[in-house]
Amino acid sequence: MMRRRELVTQVSLFLPAFILLLVFMVTPFLMAIVLSFTNQRLIPGPVPTRFVGWQNYVMMLRDSQFWAGLKNNFVFVLVVVPLQSAFALALALLVNAKLRFTKFFRTLYFMPTVTTMVVVSVIWSFLYHPDGLVNRLLSSVSFGHWEAVDFLRNRSWAFPAIMFMSIWQGVGFQMLIFLAGLQEIPEFLYEAADVDGASPIRKFWHITLPGLRNTITFVLVSTTILAFRLFDQVMVMTAGGPQDATYTVMLHIYNTAFRRLNIGYASAMTIAFFLIVLAVSVAQRFVLWEEKEG
Amino acid sequence: MRSLRIVVVACLLVMTLAVPALAKTELVLWYHSGKPEERAVLEYQVKTFNAMQDQVVIKAVEIPEGGYNEQVQAAALAGGLPDILDLDGPFIANYAWSGYLRPLDKYITPQLKKDLLPSIIAQGEYKGKIYALGTFDSGLAMWANKRYLKDVGARIPVSVDDAWTFTEFMEILRKLKAHPKVKYPLDFKINYGRGEWFSYGFLPIFQGFGADMIDRKTMLSAEGVLNGPEALAAAAWFQSLFAQGYADPNPPGDTEFIDGRAALSWVGHWVWQPYKQALGEDLILIPMPKFFRQATGMGSWAWAITSNCKYPDAAWQFLEFILRPEEIVRMTDANGAVPSRVSAARLSKAYQPGGPLNIFVQQLQKIAIPRPVTPAYPALTSYFAEAIDNIISGADVRKELDQAVKRINEEIKYMGLK
Repeated sequence: MMRRRELVTQVSLFLPAFILLLVFMVTPFLMAIVLSFTNQRLIPGPVPTRFVGWQNYVMMLRDSQFWAGLKNNFVFVLVVVPLQSAFALALALLVNAKLRFTKFFRTLYFMPTVTTMVVVSVIWSFLYHPDGLVNRLLSSVSFGHWEAVDFLRNRSWAFPAIMFMSIWQGVGFQMLIFLAGLQEIPEFLYEAADVDGASPIRKFWHITLPGLRNTITFVLVSTTILAFRLFDQVMVMTAGGPQDATYTVMLHIYNTAFRRLNIGYASAMTIAFFLIVLAVSVAQRFVLWEEKEG
Repeated sequence: MRSLRIVVVACLLVMTLAVPALAKTELVLWYHSGKPEERAVLEYQVKTFNAMQDQVVIKAVEIPEGGYNEQVQAAALAGGLPDILDLDGPFIANYAWSGYLRPLDKYITPQLKKDLLPSIIAQGEYKGKIYALGTFDSGLAMWANKRYLKDVGARIPVSVDDAWTFTEFMEILRKLKAHPKVKYPLDFKINYGRGEWFSYGFLPIFQGFGADMIDRKTMLSAEGVLNGPEALAAAAWFQSLFAQGYADPNPPGDTEFIDGRAALSWVGHWVWQPYKQALGEDLILIPMPKFFRQATGMGSWAWAITSNCKYPDAAWQFLEFILRPEEIVRMTDANGAVPSRVSAARLSKAYQPGGPLNIFVQQLQKIAIPRPVTPAYPALTSYFAEAIDNIISGADVRKELDQAVKRINEEIKYMGLK
């Protein structure tokens, strides 16, 4: 009797989330798989929707914009994930120190993260302007030797500029997770190290880092997935330009589906991209887990 | 006894509710919420129309402009389109192709057709039938700061036929660039960003050079049209304006012209109010220059009756009402757009012959070219705008245009239009 009531409670607690996931995650995903084999349009025309087999996937192989976007996605992940995580760890160590005003700084570093990405992007577009703050600053620290750069319209600068801004915006989130991880590490380990006369650097390598292993795994995996979803910044700041220098797969999917109304092809890219990100995450898990056991 | 009373009351209630429903045709209308002034006029027109006759009741539903198209697309998919709706010009063909709109030809009298601006008909026409009519159209030309033009001794054109020639235009730009107060002579509103503005605003340059987005005869290929010698020349000229400092590839804001840093502003009618307030008597409207030919943009929101509508005759009554010259002027006085009928333009202070904005009416009558009316337009504009954006940033002109042509042609093939 008791068991049964428990089961009812469990199911009733589980059901709302399950239904929401089913309706908004599972169903669209299954639909995307089906649509990826059709020529479905956003506004269906007189040409009836039909199955086109693997045509969409074959098209993807020859689609230079898809590959340009994918390349950028990987570059972004390879640059941003390590840099952002290292930077977040440094910040976490700083604000974890027993100094005055740490609460103030914690709030300060977290502020960009809670600000909407679109707002942040618009503000940074102004900062990166040829007459903007960044150029002025570089000009004044170089005593006028810096020549103003139109960061977002320059093919070699645009993507690094967006990466820099993304790291700045997102770092607060990882900092917070690291901070929680740091506070889990028992204080007596440090006290023991002090007694042994260990230097701060040795304490960091032998106590802090091993203590953060699970946290680091979590941060790396979640940051990677977030980094692959790169969209808002490039949409607002460059629309993928100049010459696809900041184009991403998400932007290509969006343009294909909602600007050019080609749902079938966009679905195919969604599925392919999902599989790629899944493969990367699984590989990452595999590597990080192995280290943990070793 | 008691239950009988309830039945009687219920019957009476049903009858009172049913009687007006039987007598009047109720039609649902969707419109995009544009400027507040525009909204207020439409609300007033709906109210007036509902009060002046007792057969048709219009129920207007306002939908935010940002998600308007998505909303309409979703409704079309779900079969839930309203009876009447307004659509942005370039989308009309796509909806007509999909069979969601009713042709309006049988309602349009010869007098009305003659009075409408040719641009309005061109925008609403797909495969020989008219599917949408607007109460206003848009105008694209150059706003100029009279003081600067006087300083450099530029001739001020008085009509579309009197427009600057290409050499004259370049000469004036060169002189304006040398003017000490002018930073960039020509403001292209690049700050609007990669999007429909790039097609609306800069396709006329390509057309002026004799190129286009697509072969207008077949509407099936862009080969040789968007990457032919004329297109290359247009793109190279456009690019050189940015490279040589005649136009700012990255304007810091929307106020270059208002602040006096630009002498000419290549943009539409919609900036009239702010420009007028900033420059007063110094603001003048300059018609599009004569490149190898003269061309300008056109197209705006237009009204259509959906195939969902059971009472198209009743729906037309409403469209006929808002297309009356005095109602058109009521709208264009509020939103500043170009009246869609010649007789309405005559009633408007700004647009009547001799009025400050009459150039727009002349342009729409003589040199306006609709953006390509084809279901593939969403792909065309997307790739064209992308190429333009890259060209502004200094990309290789030939490579960009070749790439746009290739992608446009592939899309047309994929859509099964060929």
